[in-house]
Amino acid sequence: MERDCIDDCVTLCRSCDLVVTKRALPSGVRALCPRCHTALYDTPYCSINGMLALCITALIFFTPANFLPILELHFLGSVRTATIAEGAIAVAHQGYWIVGISVMLTAVIAPGVLILSILSQILIIKYRLHSPFFRDVLKRLLKYQDILSQLTMLEIYLISILVSVFNLSDFADIFLGMGTFCFSMLFIVTLFLQREYNLEHMWSMLDE
Amino acid sequence: MSNIDENAQGKEMGLTTCPSCNKLNEQKQTHCTRCDSPLMVRDTTSLQKSWALLITAAILLIPANIYPITMLTDRGRIRHDTIFTGITHLVQSDMFPIAIILFTASILVPLLKIVGLTIYLTAISFRLPISKKMLMVGFHIIEWIGRWSMLDLFVISITVALVNMGQLLDAKPAPAATAFALVILLTQMAAKVLDTRLLWDRLESKDDKNRSTKSR
Ligand SMILES: [Zn+2]
Ligand SMILES: [Zn+2]
Repeated sequence: MERDCIDDCVTLCRSCDLVVTKRALPSGVRALCPRCHTALYDTPYCSINGMLALCITALIFFTPANFLPILELHFLGSVRTATIAEGAIAVAHQGYWIVGISVMLTAVIAPGVLILSILSQILIIKYRLHSPFFRDVLKRLLKYQDILSQLTMLEIYLISILVSVFNLSDFADIFLGMGTFCFSMLFIVTLFLQREYNLEHMWSMLDE
Repeated sequence: MSNIDENAQGKEMGLTTCPSCNKLNEQKQTHCTRCDSPLMVRDTTSLQKSWALLITAAILLIPANIYPITMLTDRGRIRHDTIFTGITHLVQSDMFPIAIILFTASILVPLLKIVGLTIYLTAISFRLPISKKMLMVGFHIIEWIGRWSMLDLFVISITVALVNMGQLLDAKPAPAATAFALVILLTQMAAKVLDTRLLWDRLESKDDKNRSTKSR
């Protein structure tokens, strides 16, 4: 068989190394490995402009979500508020810096870097794809994309806020702050952004 | 492409995928033609690395569960809570849904991850006759649910930041928190470093039934 055909009509399963013949797929359908059921490929449906809009919206929500209090506690006349970063710093301050760093990394830093990284990728693809320097930057960003999206744990943090509300309502009155609203919006926008984003498709931009 | 055997491995055809961008490459290349990542047909050392991380995580699971994870001062009374007693308090105060969420995230998920990965690694290392397809489905579940253990740490950090009013009401993290954070980190890494293709290279003879049913 000819070598040049292989690239287009065959793929290898990354989990079990099975050789799978590629077939055209209807949109929204994902091909699974027939042997181990790992997701292989799907029809890329990324719209660059749609992602750009989502990125900008996410960036708008990012600052208030991180600097406004996510919860307010009223106890015997005194009011306490906390932002996400304050929570991480408070834990680190008690000497539990591994916990503090993981909270900071997964709830603040990774989501922020993820959004900025996707934004830069889109801008490079839209305006600077021909320049060798920016192609190299894009390559580097794409390499870290996978680990970044795994480190982004906004959905888990959102559930944690709810769990904390119920946990603490035993002791004091708890109120949701404006930060909670912005954080929920940030979560929803990032969710759509990650759904729209297709790493395979982004890599293929480099092939042209 | 009719001459491709139903169960051919990329390894036998002189092909390999790039671990970082998934592009198909020829085995004679040392680096990916698209992203310059080093290529490896199989990462045989990954099995050892994965075992080492998993064993460390399993050991740390003990202090994570027997030591207190939070310390609560309520009107002068100090209460130390382990992961488990924290959940029983929730059950006693009739907050079942929250108790179930926390039980799943902090006890069930870490335990399932460690047991699951142990079975998985044992199956590769000692060629156990367990259905490879089942192992792989389990592996994907482990990869996906692993992150949810972070829930408990997030709750602790929110609580510690909000509740600090001296003797009246005060919450602080306790030693199990670090152990628990490390368990999450190490188990995630153990799954991440493992080259799962190793599973499909070995234990060939035992479940051939599995292969033939798959090809129709
Ligand atoms: Zn497979
Ligand atoms: Zn590559």
